[in-house]
Amino acid sequence: MPSAAYLMKNFFLSLKTTVWTLLGLVVLFFIGSYLMPVHRNIFQPMNDLLLFQWVAGVAAENPFQTWWFFLSLAALVLLAINTIVCSIQAIKIRWSRADFLRRISPQVVHAGFLFILFAHLLGAAWGYKISGGMLKGTFARLPENRALYLRDIRVEADDRGFPKDWSADVLLFENNERVAMGTLGPNKPLFYQGAGIYLKSFELDPRPVALLMITRDPGTAWAFTGGILFVLGSAALLVLKWKQR
Amino acid sequence: MYHKQRHLGQSGCLLCLLSMEIALFILYPIALYRPRMILPALGLHGVLIGAAAIQYGRIPLIGLHDTLGFLAFSIGASFAIAGWNRKRGLFSYITIPVLLVFLTGSVVSPVMAGPLPPVLKTIWFELHVILSFIAYALFALGAVFGVLSLATKERSAETHQYRVVLLGYVLFSLAMFFGAIWAYLAWGTYWLWTPKELWTTIVWLFYGLYLHARLVQGWTGKPVAWMGIAGFVIVLFTYVGVGLLMKSSHEF
Repeated sequence: MPSAAYLMKNFFLSLKTTVWTLLGLVVLFFIGSYLMPVHRNIFQPMNDLLLFQWVAGVAAENPFQTWWFFLSLAALVLLAINTIVCSIQAIKIRWSRADFLRRISPQVVHAGFLFILFAHLLGAAWGYKISGGMLKGTFARLPENRALYLRDIRVEADDRGFPKDWSADVLLFENNERVAMGTLGPNKPLFYQGAGIYLKSFELDPRPVALLMITRDPGTAWAFTGGILFVLGSAALLVLKWKQR
Repeated sequence: MYHKQRHLGQSGCLLCLLSMEIALFILYPIALYRPRMILPALGLHGVLIGAAAIQYGRIPLIGLHDTLGFLAFSIGASFAIAGWNRKRGLFSYITIPVLLVFLTGSVVSPVMAGPLPPVLKTIWFELHVILSFIAYALFALGAVFGVLSLATKERSAETHQYRVVLLGYVLFSLAMFFGAIWAYLAWGTYWLWTPKELWTTIVWLFYGLYLHARLVQGWTGKPVAWMGIAGFVIVLFTYVGVGLLMKSSHEF
């Protein structure tokens, strides 16, 4: 009779595990996409809080609406283990120089996928997300001994009077010293040592107010590195498969 | 007076664009006779997209009118490449009607004229959208090859399906990557929990599932061919259904 360790190794090494887990994730995300708009009050804070804060504060208290999310997390953990075990097995096999690219490409794709998952884990647990309105000419205290000064808000209107562009000048201070300054706008944040300052919206009446968001996500670099690895690996695989007759 | 002239000029322009769109309904069906005869239709369609870009002063990929038209064009271009050496047959008989359905959808949808909202004025958005729709077109072709594989039992149809789906998957992954960069610059996060993002991930996971399933005994052959067809149904729901039925950051 095969041992439990042997059965477990076979389970995690199996492509069938990959296929069924992916199928499970597709079904769970399908259910989630239906439940999210129905229970908007539960799922809206997912994008405003760190994910683990949302899990502890909101999701855990509403299991009948969030069960799909917890099952998805379990499926992703299973998929991550499955990916790692399969990649280790593939690397252990002796490679010849001729088929190096054919063998390395899927492992690069897998590494990219794992980097993306790791990025989400980092972003879910650490970092911060703060948002709020700031009056023109005022200071706001930020984490890491920093402060932000909103110097100006500018709005450009089109022929019909609708705003077509907007910007805000800000100064960033750290330990009472100015460390950065810049102009924020749509798609134009100000970055300083891993933190990003974003202009989300504005109001001019009764007084000029900018709605700003300050975020720090330690997973970002991992996510983008993972994305590059995933695309490079899959592009290499594509070239090899297309060449193969 | 100036405003009236400009209005008349714009009406003339719109009339010209509309007549070009109608001409496409005559030119595209010619490809039913032979795939490579799609080139005149593609040429005219390319001019139409270029003219719309000049008229609006932006990439014409906002709203159903623009995107359905671009999807039809991308399906046509993929069809021309994949079917270059093919003769008249089921491949054309399925693809051209599908293309015409999207083109009809484009013509009957309202045009979103005017400049881009500021948040969309970035190269990352343009790359994200263009690559997404090219990937969608390749997934459409994957579904067509799936039908071909089931109907004719040709092994080559399954191989063609795999190739176009793999190319579509790479482009779709790249589109998601560019979308993540854009989201990070616009909203401070590369991922948002919204139904549209979940459905985009469903498309990504499903085609990942397709690519892995081909290697598993019992999934090859018919099941995989069906998966190529089901994948495009998911793509269609992600593109049209989610936008119409669910609120998300992808509403513009």
